[in-house]
Amino acid sequence: MLARPGLPDFEYMKAESPQDVFRLLEERGGEVKLLMGGTDLFVQMRDGNESAGILLDLKYLPGMKDISYTKKKGIKIGAAVTLNQLSAHPDVTNHFQILSQSADTVGNYQLRNRATLGGNLCNASPSADMAPAALVLEGEVSLSGPDGERVMALDQFWVGPGKTALKEYEFMTAVCFPNPPSGAVGRYLKLGRSKMGDLAIVGVAVLGYPDPEVPAGIRFRIGINSTAPTVYRVPQVEELLAKAPLSDDILRQASGEAMKVSAPIEDVRATVLYQKKMVNNLTFKGLKEVWSQLINS
Amino acid sequence: MKNSEPSLIGQSVRRTDAIDKVTGCAVFVDDIPFGPNLLHSRLVRSPHPHALIRSINTKKAERLPGVRTIVTGKELSARLGLYLIDRPIFASERVRYYGEPVAGVVATTENIAVEAAKLVEIEYEVLPAVYDPVESAQPDAPLLHPDLGSYTVANFIFPEPGTNISENFKIRKGDVETCWSDCEAIAEGQFRLPPIEHVPLETHTSIALSEKSGQITLWASSQSPFAMRDMIAQCLGIPHNKLRVIAPLVGGGFGGKAGVTMEACAVVMAQAVEGRPVKLRLTREEEFVGTSVRQSLVSDIKVGCDKDGTLLGMELTYYFGGGAYNDYGVNIARAAGYSCTGPYDVPNVKADSLCVYTNHPVGSAMRGFGMPEIHWGLEQIMDQLAEQIGMDPVEFRLKNCVRTDDEIVSGMKMTPIDLEACIEKASKAIKWEKKEKPTAPNKKRGKGIAIMWKAPAMPPNPGSAAVVRFNEDATVNVEVGGQELGQGAFTVAAQIAAEMLGVPYESVTVSYPLDTKYSPYEWQTVASRLTWSMGNAVKAAAADARTQILETVADHWDEEIDDLTIEDGLVISFKSEREQPLDKMVIYGLPNEDFEGWKGGPVIGRGHFMPTYVTNLDPETGQGTRAVVHYTVGAQAVDLEVDLETGQLEVLNIASVYDVGRAINPDLIMTQIEGGAVHGMSSAFEELKFNESGEVLNPSFVDYRIATIADIPRKIHGDYVETPIDDGPWGARGVGEHVMVQTAPAIANALYDAVGIRFSDLPLSADKIYLALEEKINREK
Amino acid sequence: MVIHQISLIINGTEEGLQVPSNMTLLHALRDKLGFTGTKNGCEAGECGACTVLVDGEPMNSCLVLAVELNGREITTVEGLAENGKLTPLQQAFADLNAVQCGYCTPGMLMSATALLRRNPQPSEVDIQEALLGNLCRCTGYQRIIDAVLKASRNGGAK
Ligand SMILES: Cc1cc2nc3c(=O)[nH]c(=O)nc-3n(C[C@H](O)[C@H](O)[C@H](O)COP(=O)(O)OP(=O)(O)OC[C@H]3O[C@@H](n4cnc5c(N)ncnc54)[C@H](O)[C@@H]3O)c2cc1C
Ligand code: FES
Ligand code: FES
Repeated sequence: MLARPGLPDFEYMKAESPQDVFRLLEERGGEVKLLMGGTDLFVQMRDGNESAGILLDLKYLPGMKDISYTKKKGIKIGAAVTLNQLSAHPDVTNHFQILSQSADTVGNYQLRNRATLGGNLCNASPSADMAPAALVLEGEVSLSGPDGERVMALDQFWVGPGKTALKEYEFMTAVCFPNPPSGAVGRYLKLGRSKMGDLAIVGVAVLGYPDPEVPAGIRFRIGINSTAPTVYRVPQVEELLAKAPLSDDILRQASGEAMKVSAPIEDVRATVLYQKKMVNNLTFKGLKEVWSQLINS
Repeated sequence: MKNSEPSLIGQSVRRTDAIDKVTGCAVFVDDIPFGPNLLHSRLVRSPHPHALIRSINTKKAERLPGVRTIVTGKELSARLGLYLIDRPIFASERVRYYGEPVAGVVATTENIAVEAAKLVEIEYEVLPAVYDPVESAQPDAPLLHPDLGSYTVANFIFPEPGTNISENFKIRKGDVETCWSDCEAIAEGQFRLPPIEHVPLETHTSIALSEKSGQITLWASSQSPFAMRDMIAQCLGIPHNKLRVIAPLVGGGFGGKAGVTMEACAVVMAQAVEGRPVKLRLTREEEFVGTSVRQSLVSDIKVGCDKDGTLLGMELTYYFGGGAYNDYGVNIARAAGYSCTGPYDVPNVKADSLCVYTNHPVGSAMRGFGMPEIHWGLEQIMDQLAEQIGMDPVEFRLKNCVRTDDEIVSGMKMTPIDLEACIEKASKAIKWEKKEKPTAPNKKRGKGIAIMWKAPAMPPNPGSAAVVRFNEDATVNVEVGGQELGQGAFTVAAQIAAEMLGVPYESVTVSYPLDTKYSPYEWQTVASRLTWSMGNAVKAAAADARTQILETVADHWDEEIDDLTIEDGLVISFKSEREQPLDKMVIYGLPNEDFEGWKGGPVIGRGHFMPTYVTNLDPETGQGTRAVVHYTVGAQAVDLEVDLETGQLEVLNIASVYDVGRAINPDLIMTQIEGGAVHGMSSAFEELKFNESGEVLNPSFVDYRIATIADIPRKIHGDYVETPIDDGPWGARGVGEHVMVQTAPAIANALYDAVGIRFSDLPLSADKIYLALEEKINREK
Repeated sequence: MVIHQISLIINGTEEGLQVPSNMTLLHALRDKLGFTGTKNGCEAGECGACTVLVDGEPMNSCLVLAVELNGREITTVEGLAENGKLTPLQQAFADLNAVQCGYCTPGMLMSATALLRRNPQPSEVDIQEALLGNLCRCTGYQRIIDAVLKASRNGGAK
């Protein structure tokens, strides 16, 4: 019924190598929960929605906290990189500004000293704030399992609220983002009940970049959270925007289409109607801001 | 007595508790160490808002290793209460709200208590529940308290057995029926507000110890340790001197730690495990679900004025949703009744103020005690009426607001105030006359004003006592029974004592923790009454000590007391210009000439205060000579913007001006004004949400948002006026609650000014505002 | 239940202690070591009353396991003033009445101390962003902002 005080009993273990993880998962599978910052996991355990015999801490695995950038390949961010680390990292602020922007909207400063990128994505919350930007940047996750690493596009990764495509013995090691198309501009707009720090009622990430191939001269990618079982992109809307020369009317039409695609459910934060309207308004605002920035640069 | 101007009164001296609080030395209940003997506990709470308890089986839970005892309400027939004794400690036959305690588990660790609580098996027979107070007041509503007629009740409260109505306070003044025909304009409306929580940062915590000797000690986060002792002692049949309540500093109360919340549960559990202290600490979630709330209110208001805008009549019905138990709520409905018009001069009034049982959490005192609830509607309808006759809201209020010596709604003569000055200062501070541009094209801007009054709502005779005790070096300990909740009560006590004694402020310490075994009596830390009532007691105690000192010195010097005074720790004679330091003599006295004996001795001053002039009100008309001790009044003016794309509000400026009688410590008043403005603003967005089956949907800070540091108004302009009252120290009265009473309606009025939409129901969520804006645009198309 | 022997460097002094896996830093500090200046307001990362510095960075001690921090440096509110001398920040909180009930104060001080260390001249908005996770029901926050600004003029965190 109500959250309990403190945390339930469990055993804490620190994984030293990936093999540790696979072995333990194989031996004690059902009992084990993977731990990063714990900012989602601990709260869920207090609420009684999660329990575990063992919390296996992945943060200290080699490479999990690294950020590496190359001009050719883009950026690779270890799953255990905290959101504050990520937000302040020069390679992120220089090339992936929208990730920084998104990270700064998560909870509050002290929380972000613990909250990790991997945790945010693996938790698969429909309202995850890193997810819209990660989607429009067309990120890929590296998943490590007993049979080796595999890479998966993020739009395949979430399969439902709280559900991912991770296999039983797998864990996430890193997230890779290719360099955004040249001249790209990104914006993440988040609406909560208070000015900052709330969970998203709606969050919209817009990435725009010049593309002479399409009639609009600009291509947009749009990622939206909190208004469907998973965070999603709206390809039909992106296509619509590419097809004709841009105008406020087109942006408005596109936002209206995005609103139609959204499928929010009523919760304590907002009514369905309001959420839908906000998908419309935030999408329009995001498109408009990105468009003006592109024109001006 | 001293004839010079007071030197410390009106000074913004440093808080007595500031250093303790910035160094982590301040001790709250949860900080007290109890060692390995300590047992932990957890309450088993009802999952239903209304049900009969068919059976409780604790066997499985008892078998869990580490469980020491499990307590239920089976053997506890007595009930708790202050004005209407209606609340069981543990529900035994029937539960009346989601989260009501049904059993208490005591174990060696908190985790075991948590696990055992899950094993307690309770069978319920679910009953239909009722949440809306208007529905609940109807004859066919599910009855919550079939035994209402048998409950003990204070002589000024009038429950209606056989219904859910626990109090019906009536005002019948003048002739309302005929006044309407003289009105040029009449406004009518219904206004609603949901239950909200106090949300102190410290959750309710208590530790109880029952010793084999029969002595019981309760450490509790309590605003009112004496009231807590009284209620629990009466309920459990413990002599008052055998129940000791110790109350360290309180981490925020706002009314939620007045009376008894779950502390009696801790005592009962401790009685079952004699000799071992039992700790009961509520989680944040329990704080939201299982403690008292500000009651919901549905108010029906009709008000009319003549063509000059002079108010002629008012007809009001207030339905307070008192929740499951109304031991406190009945007095809120009563207070709302005798102040039902708000701070206005209205000749004809008919009002019914009802408290009604509902299947919501227990309604109780919260900062403002009924006043924020009624002003929400009152202050909006006044704007509506002003608009109807084409009058400016400020002008309308200046014309109709209550003035000193007016005969007010309860028939009492208004105590000294200057509400006009408050209105003028507040409206000036936000440039009322000036229509200002929004800061961005997607925003609309508006201004609004709201005024308020509030009297301390309490029994006629709540007392305060104080003791002033000197140490050898002439430092002073002031002992009081009123609590420091952050409002600065101890600082004001120290200031008053130092002023009266003529000693430096820094040499005065206020003794804490409060302890009913040692502290002098204080009725409760509520009703914004400490500066006034406890202040009077401290002043009297210090005067008593001062007289003892002067008598000794006068005798010693063979002079007249009237020629002496104390300044800066020295007794001085105006006549002989002799000096005598207080140091040593306040304990050891003074020797006679040639040491032929001694005079004086340890100086201990005692003082008390109790208002003796409050009278009863006629149960049929609500009229009497003096309903209350006095009123504090004030005005708030708000300048805000609405974001048309999201419906979000931003307060740009809030001017908040109150008549405090006399500012003992001006900066502490400002801190109340600022904190209150933000609390008031936050309250306009707060709501405890329930689903159809009565469950609380938002019992956490994530889902029950309170204002954060990013949400505050861009500017808070605080100010005060000083119209002294006769019975307060140097004319002072309280202001701690008033500062948030009318913030929500001031915001609503500004919102109306900005977008032309009236919101009659709280909360003012962005969601609601946005959708209303859209609807308006569509309608106008 | 496995008990871990760990050591924490608390306010500069190494402390050895035994903790079960599920004991948060908050409870280790308060219940095991008696550093009760750090407050418990929600145990869910929402209120900031439990904020302490871990290797200089503010964290919600209610969301960190003590066992994870073996060997790390923890600063609590008790570690701010030295030899009875308040830090400029503590002094400013006291001088400006940025304290009412005081329950949020330790957490506020820790978040603000970390802010002033990473940004000695913060703007009002910087302060709002840094203290967003510290709730206060009493003060209305403006005094707290003013106190941080004042401290930044008077020597910062220390
Ligand atoms: C007060 C508060 C406010 C918050 N506000 C926001 C907000 O505004 N926006 C937002 O998006 N989130 C918010 N959150 C949620 C949370 O902080 C973030 O989602 C955070 O990024 C989670 O990261 P973590 O490292 O703490 O994850 P953890 O809690 O450690 O893990 C989360 C989940 O992912 C799994 N997992 C973690 N790492 C891996 C891995 N490498 N491989 C496989 N599975 C893994 C875990 O088993 C767990 O189920 C808030 C939380 C709190 C307590
Ligand atoms: S107690 Fe840790 S954030 Fe509230
Ligand atoms: S001073 Fe009371 S919560 Fe901040």
